[in-house]
Amino acid sequence: MSLRIFLFVLLFLSATTSSFALDIPPSPTGYVNDYAHLLNAQTKNDLESVLSGYESQTSNQIVVAVFDSLEGESLEDFSIRLATQWKVGQKDRNNGVILLVFIKDRQLRIEVGYGLEGALPDTVASTIIRNEIIPHFKAGNYEAGIIAGISAIQKAIAGEFSAESSPIAYRHRSTFPKVVLLVLFSLLLVDFVRYSFYLKTNTANPRRYSWGGWFMRFAILLFVLRIVFEIFFRALLMRGGHYGSRSGYSSGGFGGGGGSFGGGGASGRW
Amino acid sequence: MKKILLPVIIVGSILILLIFSFVGSYNKLVGLEEGVKSAWSQVENVYQRRLDLIPNLVQTVKGYAAHERETLEGVVQARAKATQTTISPEIINNPDAFAKFQEAQSGLSGALSRLMVVVEKYPDLKANESFLNLQAQLEGTENRITVERMRYNETAKEFNTVIRRFPTVFLARLMGFSEKAYFKAEAGAQEVPKVDFGR
Repeated sequence: MSLRIFLFVLLFLSATTSSFALDIPPSPTGYVNDYAHLLNAQTKNDLESVLSGYESQTSNQIVVAVFDSLEGESLEDFSIRLATQWKVGQKDRNNGVILLVFIKDRQLRIEVGYGLEGALPDTVASTIIRNEIIPHFKAGNYEAGIIAGISAIQKAIAGEFSAESSPIAYRHRSTFPKVVLLVLFSLLLVDFVRYSFYLKTNTANPRRYSWGGWFMRFAILLFVLRIVFEIFFRALLMRGGHYGSRSGYSSGGFGGGGGSFGGGGASGRW
Repeated sequence: MKKILLPVIIVGSILILLIFSFVGSYNKLVGLEEGVKSAWSQVENVYQRRLDLIPNLVQTVKGYAAHERETLEGVVQARAKATQTTISPEIINNPDAFAKFQEAQSGLSGALSRLMVVVEKYPDLKANESFLNLQAQLEGTENRITVERMRYNETAKEFNTVIRRFPTVFLARLMGFSEKAYFKAEAGAQEVPKVDFGR
């Protein structure tokens, strides 16, 4: 009985929290995210394949998100929250662009990742919005506007990155120092034990225990260990190939790669 | 001699563990502080970007709206004031200097938004391509400022929370880590009135 009440309360709480603020949808599985059901299936598929092909060529991720309404929230606020949550773009390049459209509010924004701020500065983003997208939107032709906007964005950021020469992010979070500390600690303990044995067997001359020799051996051991570890890590990285880079963009299909955004881009109204 | 050995081992291990945890939390504090500093340098960058933008903007507006002298001068003066407040990384440890910096910058924000309102009266200016570009850059910069301020506040909050936690607080005091200042919400300077449906 109490469990049922608990579940009810939980349900109630989740219902109340989700119905008021405009929540950011979970990270998308596709490039075109039409929450307002504005685009027809054909256009959506076409765009999807264009954007996925573009990513495999250039590694740049362009994502479209169409919403019904901002529900009173500020466009820029929502946009940056969405961008930080979706992490569009590769982690080491921050080469993501998001085109957000809010139908009822008649507002749109191009949010540009850190890595593309040079190729797609605010003025260019703003020009694209004013000259390529808004004329179509004003005529009520949203699909044409979005398509024109995307191709203009593609043109602007062409040549900024390419899919080849992609540096693999090793994220080489070395566990080495911790391992060394552990080894050091255990060897020290071993030494204490050895010392006690030495005292037991050689009570006549306790001062002859050689700390210096011990440390020399210890240093050599550490050095060897380090080399072994290095070789071990190298081998692991070589074999793993994409070890550490989360989004294999060559594999097709969308996956937010961890790109960051700093509020670059432009907004517009129609 | 043998009887001393066991306590020595125990005390030694405890000492080593203590040193490790000391070193660990010290390093963590250093890392967090570096995070705050780099967030601050981002904040400085975007504010600097705005300062760099203003001369061009003023020049362009002057060409079309020369008799809005008061507003234009307001922007120029506010910029001069914002340039005078020296910014150094040390400012994040000094709440007074920090508040002064924020005040100067929000004075500039106010002057700029007054200018943008005045500009609405000049359709020729509003159709000018280079003005539109400057406007886009200014809007983008204001947005970046908001974002970087928010990120700075987040990192500062994380740091401030950690240095006030229980065992770390002693270490932080000992090693001279001090609390970082926050950006306070601007008093309605840039806020767009929001309609709130009974949240």
